[in-house]
Amino acid sequence: MNPGLISECRRAGNGWSAVLMSTALILAGLCGLGAAAAEKVLTMAYNEEPQTSDMQMNTNDYMIPLNVYDRLIECVTTAPGKSALVPGLATKWEVSKDGKVYTFHLRKGVRFQNGEELTARDVVYTFDRMLDPATKALNTDILDFVAGAQERMAGKAPATSGLKELDKYTVQITLENAFVPFLAIMASPQASILNEKFTRPLGGKYGQTADSTCGTGPFMMKEWVLNDHHILVANPRYWRGRPQIDKFVLKVVTDPETMRMLFEAGEIDLFDCDFAVSQIPYFTASPKWGKQIVSGPRAGIYYYSINQKIKPFDDVRVRKAFQMAVDRRLILEKMFYNQGQLEQGILPVGVIGYNPAQPKIEYNPAKAKQLLAQAGYPKGVDMEIATIAGKGPQWQKMGEIVQAMVMKAGFRVKLTQMDEAAFFATRKEGKLPMYSNVWSADFNDPDNFFYTFFGPKGTVARSFNNLDPAVYAALDHGRSETNPAKRAKLYNGLEKKLIVDQAVWVPMFSMKHLYVVQPKVKKFVVPWNGWSDFPIYDARIQ
Amino acid sequence: MKSFILKRLLISIPILIGITIIIFFMLNVVPGDPVALMMKEHISVDVVARVRAQMHLDDPAIIRYFRFLGGALHGDLGESYKLNRPVTSLILNAFPNTLLLALWAALFAWAVGIPAGILSAVKKYSLPDNLFMGFSLLGVSMPIFWSALLFQWCFAVRLGWLPVAGFAGWKFVIMPAIVLGWSSAGIIARLTRSSLLEVMRNDYIRTARAKGLHELPVIFGHALKNALLPVVTVMAIQVAGLLAGAVVTESVFNIPGVGRIAVNAIQARDMPLLQGAVLFETVLVILGNLAADILYAFIDPRIKVS
Repeated sequence: MNPGLISECRRAGNGWSAVLMSTALILAGLCGLGAAAAEKVLTMAYNEEPQTSDMQMNTNDYMIPLNVYDRLIECVTTAPGKSALVPGLATKWEVSKDGKVYTFHLRKGVRFQNGEELTARDVVYTFDRMLDPATKALNTDILDFVAGAQERMAGKAPATSGLKELDKYTVQITLENAFVPFLAIMASPQASILNEKFTRPLGGKYGQTADSTCGTGPFMMKEWVLNDHHILVANPRYWRGRPQIDKFVLKVVTDPETMRMLFEAGEIDLFDCDFAVSQIPYFTASPKWGKQIVSGPRAGIYYYSINQKIKPFDDVRVRKAFQMAVDRRLILEKMFYNQGQLEQGILPVGVIGYNPAQPKIEYNPAKAKQLLAQAGYPKGVDMEIATIAGKGPQWQKMGEIVQAMVMKAGFRVKLTQMDEAAFFATRKEGKLPMYSNVWSADFNDPDNFFYTFFGPKGTVARSFNNLDPAVYAALDHGRSETNPAKRAKLYNGLEKKLIVDQAVWVPMFSMKHLYVVQPKVKKFVVPWNGWSDFPIYDARIQ
Repeated sequence: MKSFILKRLLISIPILIGITIIIFFMLNVVPGDPVALMMKEHISVDVVARVRAQMHLDDPAIIRYFRFLGGALHGDLGESYKLNRPVTSLILNAFPNTLLLALWAALFAWAVGIPAGILSAVKKYSLPDNLFMGFSLLGVSMPIFWSALLFQWCFAVRLGWLPVAGFAGWKFVIMPAIVLGWSSAGIIARLTRSSLLEVMRNDYIRTARAKGLHELPVIFGHALKNALLPVVTVMAIQVAGLLAGAVVTESVFNIPGVGRIAVNAIQARDMPLLQGAVLFETVLVILGNLAADILYAFIDPRIKVS
């Protein structure tokens, strides 16, 4: 209702007009309420404002890209913790024998939300835009192996030579070298496709508002109020069919306690237990909410890093001793309510190449103490574990538990809380002491774990400093090995080397991802990788 | 009066510059890289180096500071590192929410604090006095985040009378305004009470009573006028404080105001945004204090601004 309009009528001295106007507006309001009641709305909460809906400029928040855009290939959840690559905007593709040239055939008749038809030009534009230095993109890693990408990023070429539009519906992408994970990467949210006609004129302003966001996906951005909420509405022309959910509301709620209360008051429809792990026993024991829990495995691994540049962890015996000094089973049971499984390697369950036969790390503080003594530390060692202040109480609590546990083996741990900016800046320099973290798959390929952590740059930037050229060579081999069996064998061998021989990190566990949903929400499935960001196209509202 | 205001405004310029220097150099001293923070887990040293250079983050701090100062003099507070939007528009878009919250909180504080203070003074050491003073003590001493959670649990989750959080209509303002205004109400109530009790001991009040005036005209006609002088000053300063200090309330109640912008900017090492937010709130506090001084001079004819 518009009270200003009514008072305007009153001021004009026309009482009847005001009454009629009020009645009309009330009726209109009631009609609106009726429409709103019929509308199928799903409301969720984020814990952080996404910086932009431009997925090329955003390395963390993918809820909007996964629902507003499509990709050439999609990675769908086929069963809890299982995934498959299926055609998306490309109906089919071919790979050359040398594994360097990929040809994608686009789906015809797909429309962007501005009405434009998807063409090969849009795909070439999207990927070239990512590599164009003027874009200042943050996700160039997903394309920097395309032929000509380095020249383009350095500003030495006006376009990327490896991206070609063969005809209106055919795109050819040539890589510098064979790169097996490429198809899986094409299914990651960073590889979402933009419309050239819409995006180019906006330049750096693309993706900052609802009006400046446009994809081919099942939902369209309707409203974006910074630090408050985003509203996505169903795309009636979506090529897979209009979504059943009419409106998808994403609230920005930074405080986890407020988020939980919003859920209990029925103001949000899904509660992500990752934001408040301590609430899991409450929800599981609750007669009201216990049956409303939806869980799924997460293709993600909790780990403790080990920085080999910081003494005494330059000695492999000390690293092995630390691995043995942590009772991981106890932490999983007592702190995470047994909602997961112990992991022994680099890859968690659910990721291609996962090896269930990876040798188990035993919990043996006495043996750990012996190893420390052999390494020349019979009186034990001092060490540091860093955590991000405010990241979540579970991380600090886990640090305290580990601190108490490893003391038996002779590790005297100092827990340091760092502010997030200092944490990431120090880690980037390779100088961060041990820290705990979780890594969930961006795309389903072992490279996403191995190369990220133990590639020549990643191992420093993540403060592992496992500077082993033999490992780098094996990682490069893994990237180009096209035979799946040989590739699996290669990664299994590498995993053994890294964990058993080199003790590069302490694998902890992979956790289930738990959500509590309101009874009206149906067919909600936890995504295969266990992310908090997922496509909601298949979910239903009763 | 005009020269007084001008003088006060001129004095505030070095204060503002001082604030920008402190904030800028403090943020440069503490470790942290906004680009590394933007990328978080998906860090790539090559990308960080490239984007840092593109954002001029590798320029010497002094050059970046004067670049900021030059822009600020022209009303341009720069662009947010994280949100990639002009800082001025981010702050101006958020300010109406903060203003609305602060005004409703102030109204609550006055509407509750002044009557409670008067009643406590009139009925001193009685049950209502103890109750009101206990209530005000609770308001002053209870941390906002705690009272906010209690209110949310009680009035939103258990009773369902009000929404838990958000800012989409008048219903959403009630709880945050009460939570934010409670502490101010407590201060006002205690100040009104003590000031009124002090005034009531003056000779002219005794004279009014000796002349046979009833208690109510004595209180409202004679005592309250003088007793409220310090209260009004505090009220004016409180509005500025509420505007600048709604950070916790905005975070817990999910209100997209300036305070929340500042918190996010600190967390993201978003220097232009943080500088802009702090500068803006400093201006508010300076203006609030100036308004209090001017108001005082208007209310009390004994005080001359000269």
